[in-house]
Order: sequence, then C-alpha cells, then structure tokens
Amino acid sequence: MPAMSATTPHTIVDSRGSACPGPITDLALAYRRAKAGDVIELWATDPGVKADVRAWAAKTRNEVVSVQDQDGKIVSVLRIVHR
Amino acid sequence: MATAIEKVQAAATAAGLVPQSDKLSIIMFSGTADKFIPLGVLAQAAAAMGVEVNIFVTGFALRGFTKQKQELPFPAEFAAMAPALAKGMQQVHVASWDAMLRQAKDLGAKVYTCSMMSSVMGLKKEDFNDLVDDVVGAAAFLQIAEHGQSLFI
Repeated sequence: MPAMSATTPHTIVDSRGSACPGPITDLALAYRRAKAGDVIELWATDPGVKADVRAWAAKTRNEVVSVQDQDGKIVSVLRIVHR
Repeated sequence: MATAIEKVQAAATAAGLVPQSDKLSIIMFSGTADKFIPLGVLAQAAAAMGVEVNIFVTGFALRGFTKQKQELPFPAEFAAMAPALAKGMQQVHVASWDAMLRQAKDLGAKVYTCSMMSSVMGLKKEDFNDLVDDVVGAAAFLQIAEHGQSLFI
C-alpha cells in the first residue's frame, strides 16, 4: 500500500449531523466523482457509520484506511482502489 | 489474507448458492406512514452501496405515490407513539421517506407501480408523481427481481 502523502488527492466529506443512511450516501456521491488512488475522508456523527463504511468498502471493493473517534466525530479514511 | 467467513462466502458463490446478481427488490405493499421509513432507508442505503434497487409499489402503498398528496395514516396500535417518533426523527435529522427515495433514485433506483392494483384504485400512469418510473404487471416485476434479494414491506 503506497504511503499517504501531501500530494494524495484528499477529499473531505462532512456528514456530521446526518442520520443513517446519510453518511454512506454522501460517501457514495463523493465516490462517483473520485478516481482510483483518491483518498476520501468521511466525517460523521451517526454511530452506525463505523460498521457502514466497512460494509460499503467491502461491497464496492475499496479500502478502509482507518476509522477513528476524533474530537466528537467519527473520521473514516477510505482509499478508492476500485472504479 | 482471506478470513474463514470470506472463504466460506467464496465457496458458496462458486457452488452457485449465492445469487450472482447484486440486486435488491422491495415490494412495497403497506400504506401506513411507519412502513415508508424502512422503504426510504433501505432503498437509499442499498443504492449507495452500488446495489441495483427496484421497487414494486402495490396495494395500499400506492397512496404514497399519487400526484394528489394523501396523508399516510399511522397504524392504530402505534398511533400513540407517533408524535414521539416524529420528534425523535426530527432531532437526529432523519430525512423524510420521499427525500430518501429521491436520493436512491438519483443513485439509480427504479420505482414501478402495480398495473392491476392501480386499475383497482382507479389510478392511471398520469395520476402518479415523478417518483414512479413505470406501471408494470407482476410478471414483468418478477422478471426484474429474478436472481436478486427481495423484501416485502
């Protein structure tokens, strides 16, 4: 897996305050515009997002880099490898 | 490295035990407001996961898809809980069922109304709102749903 660098295209998707299935829908919409190699960072507050991003990534064959609680939000980092 | 679950899934797929098609069909029959929430949630979530979503609207559910807006009732046994539910949903910003369905449609979901029940209720294609893609028969929908996963709501 290549290291993430400052040059990696990095899209932040802010879904804070959006209830399920809002966050994964926002992720899907960002995925539509993404290219292979892009990194998408999803911010959410709905607790279901932790399992949902893993399910979404498995289904769409993309990679979950990390899912972490951070300053009152859940930050999921995904690498788009499959388009 | 594949986990034990992934190995079982791969073997099941290879043996033809798992449907090959990534498809979800929802047969929407109920006409009460509570049942429209899972319709919206599941359709939007599945569409967001890249799953082909087809919805067949029949029976009392047709009332939710007419141009002339009709108030969907709450089932009598849960009516007392309806205000608390509405308040809770507002607090966590749950979208309305039709907004969720619209989002699902933006991601490719299709909505079909049942030709037979439409006729029974005196509804023609032009009586349905823009959520509806077409009016079809049961056989046509079963063909659309074939080899996928189906839910009856």
